[in-house]
Amino acid sequence: MNRFSIWRLLPFAVLIIFTAPLLIVLSTLFGGYSENWFHLYEFVLTDYIISSGILVIGVSVLVLVLGTVTAWTVTTYNFKGKKLFEWALILPLAIPPYILAYTFTGLFDPFGDANNLFRSLFNFEDSVVLFPNVRNIYGAIVVFAFTLYPYVYLVSRSAFINQSKSMKEAARLLGLNQFQIFYRLALPLIRPAAIGGLMLVIMETLSDFGAVDHFAIQTFTTGIFRTWYGLYDLQTAMQLASLLLLTVGVFYMVERSSRGDGIYTSNNSTFSPNEEIHLKGIKSLVAFLICFIPIFIGFILPILELGLWAYEVNLNFFNYKFIENSINTLTLSFITGLICAALALIINFSIRYKPGVLVSRFSALLSIGYAVPGLILAVGMVQLLVHFDNLVFTAFDIVLTGSLFGLVLAYVIKTYALANSSIESGYERISHSLDDSSKLLGSSGWNMLGNIHMPLLKTSILTSVLLVMSDVVKELPATLILRPFNFETLAVSTYIYASEERMLQAAAPAIAIVLIGLIPIVLLSKMIRSSRPIENRE
Amino acid sequence: MKKIQLILLLSFVGHVMMANEVNVYTSRHYDSDEVLYKEFTQETGIKVNIISGKGSALLQRLKSEGKNSPADIFFTVDAGNLWKVQKEGLFQSIQSELVLNSVPENLRGPNNEWTAIAKRARVIFYNPETVSETMMKNIDYEDLANPEWENKIVVRSSSNMYNQSLVASLISNIGEKETESWASKFVSNFARKPQGNDRSQIIAVANGEADLAIANSYYIGIMLSGSAGEEQMAAAKKVKIAFPNQTNRGTHINISGAGILKSSPNQKNANRFLEFLISKKVQKNMVDKSYEYPILQDIQPSKEIASFGTSFKEDQITVKSFGELNPRAVRLMDRSGWK
Repeated sequence: MNRFSIWRLLPFAVLIIFTAPLLIVLSTLFGGYSENWFHLYEFVLTDYIISSGILVIGVSVLVLVLGTVTAWTVTTYNFKGKKLFEWALILPLAIPPYILAYTFTGLFDPFGDANNLFRSLFNFEDSVVLFPNVRNIYGAIVVFAFTLYPYVYLVSRSAFINQSKSMKEAARLLGLNQFQIFYRLALPLIRPAAIGGLMLVIMETLSDFGAVDHFAIQTFTTGIFRTWYGLYDLQTAMQLASLLLLTVGVFYMVERSSRGDGIYTSNNSTFSPNEEIHLKGIKSLVAFLICFIPIFIGFILPILELGLWAYEVNLNFFNYKFIENSINTLTLSFITGLICAALALIINFSIRYKPGVLVSRFSALLSIGYAVPGLILAVGMVQLLVHFDNLVFTAFDIVLTGSLFGLVLAYVIKTYALANSSIESGYERISHSLDDSSKLLGSSGWNMLGNIHMPLLKTSILTSVLLVMSDVVKELPATLILRPFNFETLAVSTYIYASEERMLQAAAPAIAIVLIGLIPIVLLSKMIRSSRPIENRE
Repeated sequence: MKKIQLILLLSFVGHVMMANEVNVYTSRHYDSDEVLYKEFTQETGIKVNIISGKGSALLQRLKSEGKNSPADIFFTVDAGNLWKVQKEGLFQSIQSELVLNSVPENLRGPNNEWTAIAKRARVIFYNPETVSETMMKNIDYEDLANPEWENKIVVRSSSNMYNQSLVASLISNIGEKETESWASKFVSNFARKPQGNDRSQIIAVANGEADLAIANSYYIGIMLSGSAGEEQMAAAKKVKIAFPNQTNRGTHINISGAGILKSSPNQKNANRFLEFLISKKVQKNMVDKSYEYPILQDIQPSKEIASFGTSFKEDQITVKSFGELNPRAVRLMDRSGWK
């Protein structure tokens, strides 16, 4: 028996736990099909597929443009505000899409605050409406793109930073201008990183319910819930969810295998950082606007509107319940962050230490939870926990259902992809020759992980904890179903108010979600500031 | 310190059974309800534990938990949800004399599986500046399909359970074929693609974007009270309510209701909780805070709601029928293009 077989078994063990609730959902594909399928097929399925498709395509294009162009601008040029933008560009990550959707309608509905302001400024009649209706698929595309582009920005920026100066110099010598260098050289080179970020965006878009529901767009997710709640047909709803899962799974696998073995480790000895190009006058202004507009739409605008709502109801922030909910939210997200990071670290190490095609294929599946709508994951989870309870735990008078254990497990499954993407890309930058040398020197698995990889991955580990935290803070549907008695998070209380159509009261917890979401993001941005090219010599 | 660790551990692995408590699964999310629960605890010493969520999701949790479920009470805002739990056979019959004596029979389950706690009506809002009151007199839901209302009606999406229940009640009253031809004409009268919530429909009418809106009665109370901001209060003052079908079967109503689950570990407390909910004091409080209509005859609706008229004819159709017909209503709305 191999001494290190634990490294081979571990990914599989985790995989079983991670996929169990999803398999419960997928198993419905082998169950009976109700006559509702005829109805869905004839009247609504095409709508669901088309609008989900348009949404994904629209969001992808916009997110790629926003993410890569801003990342290129702050890594290549020096202009007024650049130092600020470098980290401020990730601020929209603190705004969940559903909150941006709420504030968008508050602003841009015909009698929303933005239109009212415009009318009173220019003394127009009530019938004049300046801003277009946002309650449609285009509004949704904007909402998703401007809250999710930081995923692409983050990975693109660090990829641009790691690009060699000599390469660009060569390109310039060959007569390429700045735009051509971006478009023909730098961009293709960061493709794997950008696509990795894009996949996160697509998964989040496909599994969102809050924003599309608020805009009354018929997507796959709203269709799933409509089938469950309206047609009373959970079986068909789970079958629809399974199809969504499989679609995303295909996307995911294609993306994984298209990565190939590109050259992602930069050769440290000849790496030299890029010199920034100083911009002046109108060019500096353009660069400023390129970076400012995404932050304005994705962060400043919703904050202003939330602030306005809070002001209107004379917001009472610091009551007991509010503080309790904040503590609940913070604790849960931190615990989940730690678990996810530890798992991602160990699993990525296992794959590297005992490579095998099978293992790495299967480990890709671990990230699939990210694509699962929270409610569907929760339904699978409830059934799983009940099985556990009946099999083992009731004998000890313990019930897992409705415990924090189940909730945290659901969070871990849902957000593991975030931790994994950060640690995986961290690992890609560690040269394999390092492992070979340490193996030659007789280093054991734990030793290599603890003494060689972990110090090198410090930034990646912290990033993964923070990314997970910022996502857990926003999580709603799974929390609603799995939480223990009398246990509320900020997202839950925001939803409770918003679902009762009381946006003004929803403002307080919504602001708190944003503020708590900002903690990991500010820390993340600190790391961004300290990862400017000069210092970045991992 | 050890003690704290133990408590933390216990809360992590599960719900610790305590003697004097009642566990409520609810899809009502009103702040005013929480105040009531606190009052219940003060009065009886029984702690109220709450899990709130969507009705169907809570039902699924109940079903999965089976006989081990800690839930005592299921409390929800749509009759269809009550019917679903009833159909699964998860409710026990309510034994409380007090409940059986004070709640009218048509507001209880067929075998007293549940009882209504409060009522709401789905009514038509109009702006008296753009629509004459004579046009609104004696209006029926059926009339909303007439061509005179082309481009003049706003209503929220058909994913909303209040709309589903309304259409189910139409199917039950006039038949599926009639309802479907009504729905497709009704949809062609929409002033805009269904969007937003009940309140945004009322606001659209107040602002002149449309002439008629279908929405639940209590929203106007919340808006008039000012708790939702100046703007909504101003909008609410501009509109009036028409109660449809007064010359025939009556206006469509829906209920908030609750029942005790078969698996309930704290049946006595659950019983007391139900009795508390239909006590005069609580009924008055609900009426004043969530602007619903009371179940008890001798309680008056809140003054905001009463200003639109206190006595109107209610559709007597049983809750069972729109629970049962809900899936058909959803399919019908899909076919007629009601997004």
